[in-house]
Amino acid sequence: MTTPFLKIEGIRKEYGPVVAVQDVNLEVERGEFLTFLGPSGSGKSTTLYILAGFDNPTRGDIKLNGKTLLATPSQKRNIGMVFQRYTLFPHLSVGDNIAFPLKVRRLPKHQIDAKVKEMLRLVRLEGFEDRKPAQMSGGQQQRVALARALAYDPPVLLMDEPLSALDKKLREEIQHEIRRIHQQTEVTILYVTHDQEEALRLSDRIAVFSKGVIDQIGTGPELYANPATRFVAQFIGDSDFLPCQMLHSANGRATVSVGGAVFSDVPLHETGKSEGAALMLRPERLSLTREPLQQRLAATVSDITFLGNNVHVATSTLSGDPLSVRLPFGHPAISGLSRGDSVWLGFEAASAHVFN
Amino acid sequence: MLLNFERLGWLKYVLLGITLLTALFLLLPIIFIAALSFGSSQWLIFPPPGWTLKWYSDLLADPRWLSSAWTSFRIAAIVTVLSVLLGLVTSFGLVRGRFLFRKTLRALFLTPMILPVVVLAVALYAFFLKIGLNGTMTGFVISHLVLALPFSILSISNALERFDKSIEDAAVLCGASPLEAKIRVTLPAISHGIFSAAIFSFLTSWDEVVVAIFMSSPTLQTLPVKVWATLRQDLTPVVAAASTLLILLTVILMALFALVRKGLKS
Repeated sequence: MTTPFLKIEGIRKEYGPVVAVQDVNLEVERGEFLTFLGPSGSGKSTTLYILAGFDNPTRGDIKLNGKTLLATPSQKRNIGMVFQRYTLFPHLSVGDNIAFPLKVRRLPKHQIDAKVKEMLRLVRLEGFEDRKPAQMSGGQQQRVALARALAYDPPVLLMDEPLSALDKKLREEIQHEIRRIHQQTEVTILYVTHDQEEALRLSDRIAVFSKGVIDQIGTGPELYANPATRFVAQFIGDSDFLPCQMLHSANGRATVSVGGAVFSDVPLHETGKSEGAALMLRPERLSLTREPLQQRLAATVSDITFLGNNVHVATSTLSGDPLSVRLPFGHPAISGLSRGDSVWLGFEAASAHVFN
Repeated sequence: MLLNFERLGWLKYVLLGITLLTALFLLLPIIFIAALSFGSSQWLIFPPPGWTLKWYSDLLADPRWLSSAWTSFRIAAIVTVLSVLLGLVTSFGLVRGRFLFRKTLRALFLTPMILPVVVLAVALYAFFLKIGLNGTMTGFVISHLVLALPFSILSISNALERFDKSIEDAAVLCGASPLEAKIRVTLPAISHGIFSAAIFSFLTSWDEVVVAIFMSSPTLQTLPVKVWATLRQDLTPVVAAASTLLILLTVILMALFALVRKGLKS
């Protein structure tokens, strides 16, 4: 077995009585774009800060190419980082900001100048060398920060919600830039965000953080199609949960009963928590009919929202649980549909999940 | 805006009048002393019967005035350097440190600002009498440092608080040692705070008289003490000339301060 490029082994971080990171294990391949996705307080940023060396773990180890990183201070780790807040050095010009890590490394001047030029080209900010950070927009500042972090060819680039201060349109624009730069430089990126769309758009793999542990690691489609926990199901894509009754289970499949209807062969996930069985349904995987049919859930329309190419129908099942359906605009089943109408919702067993 | 000056009608003339009166109230004594320093009367008569530069030439010809000015300058310069250095390390401790009674300690550092100066002067006098520092340069510097340090700590820690530590962290990840990051990134970024600390420290020492009276000896006098002593002995317009020069230097320093601050901000 080859040694993994970057390995996080059983990291735990306690701040007094507070456990910020419980037990994080992770292997990252060289050149991979891996995102830490999770709500605030889930331990994703703390893990990143431990990687950067700003914090030491209470327990566990981080290995880069098989060698521990923990003994190396931040300034010698050679890791690049782009922060959530704007961290350009305010008194230095854009060019001097990018040159800073190279000057600290005492590289010869011609090499520094060449590298600064190359980096400015990489982030498409040629001609901005002499600007001061205060004269630039937030998006431009983050691109300079990216250039500065990549100037010394770090093996790993950490990004801590670098786009959270930008508006949506600019965010998408810079997401494209980050993807292009990742492909161009082949640097290994660890990216922290709480925005699932951003994670899906950017990453090769996503590690979903919840309460100080990684719930699941996988590609976007894997997490969407096969969520390991209720939390992952909620965080990747939209989903509703209906309390259900387990009738039978075998080989990872379950037969459940909801509101009088019985569904068999539904993928089953044993979570080991005693929250009771729940059937997870995704709004875009449901079909809707106006006439009662076998093997369908009866529901009442509570709201209809037009979302451009989609129409979002909010319904309420007979037991009062909310259940959403998303249908393409102009779908025959929703023409003339109005609030209070009775509808019947169906789904393919393979697209649903039971969490027990 | 809640109060629009243009829409105040006749009230704005009242406001203008009040503003002018306030400005006069603040400026008149200064104008008065400056006028007297050019007046030909030996008895500080106002308005002066004629104009002369005699008092300035008297002032500059008297080595005692010059030596006290030089003493003042040296003390103020040393106090400035020490106050900025101590203020810097203290501010880092107060702003970045995570220890018990941090806020209490910060308040303690600012007490010389609110303590009556004369109380402080008596205390320092009594203490220095015991350890033999009265009438020495060291005694002067230490006692003025006590007065200057709160201003220094206040302006530097304010600047440091507004500085995002992530910027320093970024410099460290770029490969700079924590000390190098502070010197190359943090200090330039808070230079306006350091600069205010320096100016206010200098001015605090430069025109301080109460503590200086207690500290001075016949051979070691600062300019304000010399002014005060001369006033008590004989009421000569040379005092007005000295005061005018004191004011002039202060005004120059403040103007410089405003200019550099503007430069640092842009």
